Amino acid sequence: MKSLPGFDVKTLESPKGDGRNVDASRGILVGEGAQQRSVHQEVPAHPLPRTAPQGGTSPTYYEQPMLKQPVWRWMVPAYFYTGGMAGGAALLGGAIGLFGGGRFARLEQRCYQVGFVNASVSGVLLIADLGRPTRFLNMMRVFRPTSPMNLGVWLLSGAVVSLGFGVTVSRSRLWPLAMLGRAGCFVFGAPLASYTGVLLANTAVPLWQSARKSLPLLFMGSALASSSAALEMLPLEEDERKLVGLFALVGRAAELAMGVALEREVRAEGARVEQPLRTGASGALWKASKVLTGASLALTLVSRKSKRWDQVAAVAATLGALALRFGIYHAGSRTTRDARASFEPQRERAEGIRLPVVP
Amino acid sequence: MGQKGFFTDTTLCIGCKACEVACKQWNQLPEDGFAFTGMSYDNTGQLGASTWRHVAFIERPVPTPEKDTTLPAFRWLMESDVCKHCQRAGCLEACPTGAIIRTEFDTVYVQPDVCNGCGYCISACPFGVIDRREEDGRAWKCTLCYDRIGEDMTPACAKACPTESIQYGDLEALHGRAEQRLAALHALGVTDAYLYGKDAQSQPGTGGLNAFFLLLEKPEVYNLPPYPVVPTVFGNESWRSAGVAAVGAMGIALAAVLFGRSQRG
Repeated sequence: MKSLPGFDVKTLESPKGDGRNVDASRGILVGEGAQQRSVHQEVPAHPLPRTAPQGGTSPTYYEQPMLKQPVWRWMVPAYFYTGGMAGGAALLGGAIGLFGGGRFARLEQRCYQVGFVNASVSGVLLIADLGRPTRFLNMMRVFRPTSPMNLGVWLLSGAVVSLGFGVTVSRSRLWPLAMLGRAGCFVFGAPLASYTGVLLANTAVPLWQSARKSLPLLFMGSALASSSAALEMLPLEEDERKLVGLFALVGRAAELAMGVALEREVRAEGARVEQPLRTGASGALWKASKVLTGASLALTLVSRKSKRWDQVAAVAATLGALALRFGIYHAGSRTTRDARASFEPQRERAEGIRLPVVP
Repeated sequence: MGQKGFFTDTTLCIGCKACEVACKQWNQLPEDGFAFTGMSYDNTGQLGASTWRHVAFIERPVPTPEKDTTLPAFRWLMESDVCKHCQRAGCLEACPTGAIIRTEFDTVYVQPDVCNGCGYCISACPFGVIDRREEDGRAWKCTLCYDRIGEDMTPACAKACPTESIQYGDLEALHGRAEQRLAALHALGVTDAYLYGKDAQSQPGTGGLNAFFLLLEKPEVYNLPPYPVVPTVFGNESWRSAGVAAVGAMGIALAAVLFGRSQRG
C-alpha cells in the first residue's frame, strides 16, 4: 500500500504488545480524490447559477447551464492585451531591424523595450492565473500542436528571448545575436498577437467558437492598434511618427472592420449567442471598444500634423483595445451560462446533416 | 487492456444515487457543500471537480403507458451522468501540459501530479464535465476508476448500481448489449429509445463516447448537447485565420518601414 507524502506508514502503526490489533495504514487516505485540497464550507463549491435567459424553443435541465463557465480571472483578458502589444511591438521592431537599413535604430530600440516589458508582464499574468502557479514549467514539458495554449507558451517564450536580445545586444558588436533577435521578433511577433484568437475559438464556449474566423484577425488588428498607441505615447521624431502612424492607421481600421465581421459571424449562429454583445456589462464593453476605436481611427486620419491629437488618439486606442479584450472575454463567459446558446445552434447543425439516431 | 467503457441505460435507473456515493467513497472525494437546489430530488446539481457521477431527476409531462388515465400526464426520467471518455476528447487535446492522457484502457485520465490548473480543459469540454476546485487549483474528473480496472475490478459506480443501469466492460461487448437492449425496448413498444454517442456514426463530432447512454427523449432534456464537437475542429479553422492575420501584419510592418524609409530619403 502506497502512502501519502509526509506520512510514514511505519510510525503510525501501533506499538506491538499494547493489545490493539489495528493496522494504522488502513486509516491513510490513498484514493484518487483524497489528494484534493478542500476546506469545509457552508456554501457549495459550485453554487448553481440561475442567470439563464428565459424563453427559447429548446428544453433544458431546470434552466441550468450545460457547460462550465471559464475559470480564468482578469489576468487572462489582461494578457490578451499585453501579449498583443508585445507581439505588435516585436513585429515592428524586427521589421525595422531587418529592413530599415539602419535608419530607425532609436525607434527599433523603443519597440524592443515596449515589447519586452509587455511580454514579461504577460508571463507574470499567465503564471498568476494558474491554479498551481509553481508548476508553470509543466507547460514546456511537451510540444503539443492540438493545444493553442501550449503553442502560445512556445510563441511567448520565443518572443521574450528575441526581445531580450533586441533590448540588450541590438546595438552592440554581437551582430549574429542581434540579427537572431531581429529575425525572432519578426517571426514570433505576429503569431503571438493573433494566436490568442485561436485560443478562444478552440473551446466549447458558443460565442468564441462561432467567431472562430474573425477572432484572430480582430485580435491582430487590436494588437497593432495598441502597440502603436504605446509607441505614440513616447516622444517620437517627425519621421518616426509617420512610420508608426501608418502602422496605427491600418491596425485601428482593421480592428474596427473585424469587429463588424465578428458581429456578422456571431449573428449567423443565432440571437442567443449574440445577445451578450448587445446587453449587460459585456455589451457595454463591446460598444465602448467600438466607439473608442472608431474615435481613435478618426483622430488618426485627421491629425497627421498634430502631435497632441495623435496622443489623444493613442489613449482612445488603448482604452478601446482593453475594452475589446474584456468585452469578448465576458461575453463568451456569459454564453456558457445559457444552455440554449449551445443547444439551439447544435440542433440546427445536427438537422442540417441529418444525424441518423438523435431524435 | 482493450477498450473499456460504460453503458448507462437510463430506462433502468431508479435514482438511488448509489453510484454517486460509491464514487465519492472509493475515490475519497471531499464534499462539495450541502445545498438544497429545489430541483426535484437532485441536490447534487451537476458534475464537478469532486462529483464524478451525478444523477439527474427529470420530471416530464408525458402520459404513463398504463391504461389508467386518471393519472396526470407525468413521468420520471433518471440518468446517472458521468465523464464520457470521448474518442476525441476536447480536454485531452486542449491540455497544454500533457497532464491529460489516454490510458491503456482507452479512457481519458488527468494526472494530478502534472496538472498545473491552467483551466483550458474546462472551457474545452463540450459536455461541461471537467472542473477545477478553487482551493485545490487542479482539474478533476472521472477516472473510470483507473486504479480499480487495472486490478480487473469493476468501477465503483457500476459495482454499486443495483439495477445494472450502469454497465461496465469491454466496449465491443457493451455495444452488443446496448443494441440488444434497444431492440428489446423497441419490441416492447418503447420506440423513442435510442443510443446516445455509441459510435462515430451517431456522434461524428466526438468520434463516439466510451461512456455512452440509452435515452428516451432529446439529449437536451438530460442536459446533454445534441451535437457535441471536439473544439479542435473549430480551432483548426481558426488557425487559418491566425496565419492570414500574421502574414498580413508582417506585410503591414514591412510597408510601414519602407514608407518610413521613403520619407527620410
